[in-house]
Parts: sequence; C-alpha cells; structure tokens
Amino acid sequence: MGDLNATIRDVLEAHGRLPVSLSSVNDDDDLYENGLTSHASVNVMLALEDAFEVEFPDSLLRKSTFESIKAISGALESMGVEAPSV
Amino acid sequence: MSILVGIDVQAIDEVEASIKEFGARYTHRLFTDHEVASCGDGPGAASGFAGRFAAKEAVLKILELNEIVPRWKSIEVRRSMGGQPEVALHGEAAEIARSQGIEEISLSISHGGGIASATVIAQVTQGRIGARQWAI
Repeated sequence: MGDLNATIRDVLEAHGRLPVSLSSVNDDDDLYENGLTSHASVNVMLALEDAFEVEFPDSLLRKSTFESIKAISGALESMGVEAPSV
Repeated sequence: MSILVGIDVQAIDEVEASIKEFGARYTHRLFTDHEVASCGDGPGAASGFAGRFAAKEAVLKILELNEIVPRWKSIEVRRSMGGQPEVALHGEAAEIARSQGIEEISLSISHGGGIASATVIAQVTQGRIGARQWAI
C-alpha cells in the first residue's frame, strides 16, 4: 500500500496541477477540495494507467474514483494492482 | 416550474496539452464518438473539446449527485439542425435528470481569452426542494 500510494502521489505531483503541496494532503483528504479539477483528474487517470499498465473500466470513470489518494488506491486495487510497475 | 443554472469554464491550453500527451486515449475516454467526430483533429479541436468538457461539467452542477456520479460520456453535446449546441443525456445522467424532473436543458458555449465556457439552464417541472433551486 505504501509503494502504491507513493506512486499515486508521484502521478498527482506530475499531472494533478494541485495549488497546494502534496505533502500537506493526507491519503483520505478530498483532492477536489484541495484544488484538483475535474479535467486534471482525467490526466491523473491516464497517467496512472501508464504507470500501472492498466486501463480504468467505464464503471470507474467517475469523479468519485479520484476524490482522494485512498479512493484512487482502492480503485487500483479493485483492478488487481498490488505494486507499482515503475 | 423552476429553473436550474450551471456554468463551468475550461482552459483550452490544458486540453491541448492533454491531447498532445495522451492523444486518442484522452479524447475517447471523455467524449462520445459523435463529439470526437464533431471536434475533428484540426487546429481548432482543443477549443471544441474544451467547450464540450465545460458543458459536461456545467450539466453535472445542476444534477443532484449522491452515490451515483454520471460518467463523462453519459453527457453528450450535439448540434441542432440550426447549429445550436444541445445536451443529450444517456444512462445514469438521463436517469438522474428524470428523477429530478428535468425535462429540457438549454446550452450555450463560448470561447475567448484561452478559455471555453459553458452555461446550461434546465427547466424542472416536478416539485423539488434544494439549495440550487430558484422559483420563477
């Protein structure tokens, strides 16, 4: 889980366009309340797909999937992701 | 009868950057085949996609969302015979709109200053109590 969340944080850092430092964001904090836009969440999703070599199914293409680091890791785990590929 | 208003903006350069980095993976995950075909792949494509994304977000703002959040492709922008933009709802977005009593949604999209903006106005015919409702 730790490595998974670390990779998610790397992706958020590169593609999330958050106006706040990720170090101040806890795993269960609401990313949208911390400045993640819907459009940026799409970029995060696509970058996560690259990082973990997966494809989010249609059922997970919702804003709620990306509302927190915890939610993202839960979604990835539901897709069978256990450890980062990079 | 009451009305609901939703508005959203989207920076066109952000869409352009996404298309450049992720290509068709980006466009086909967010937009229907009709929307992708309408926007094309020319120099104005990013502007078209940005307007449509803003429209989807504007529609989401007038829907009362609880457990179910509609997928982006369940909200589609089409053009009327006269060239005006229209909203077509599918799947869960259509179901939520029906449950709220939303019968018709009007859409306007504008571009300028590197920004695409979209405004939607919806008529609600059933009785509905909510913070975003204004009686007329």
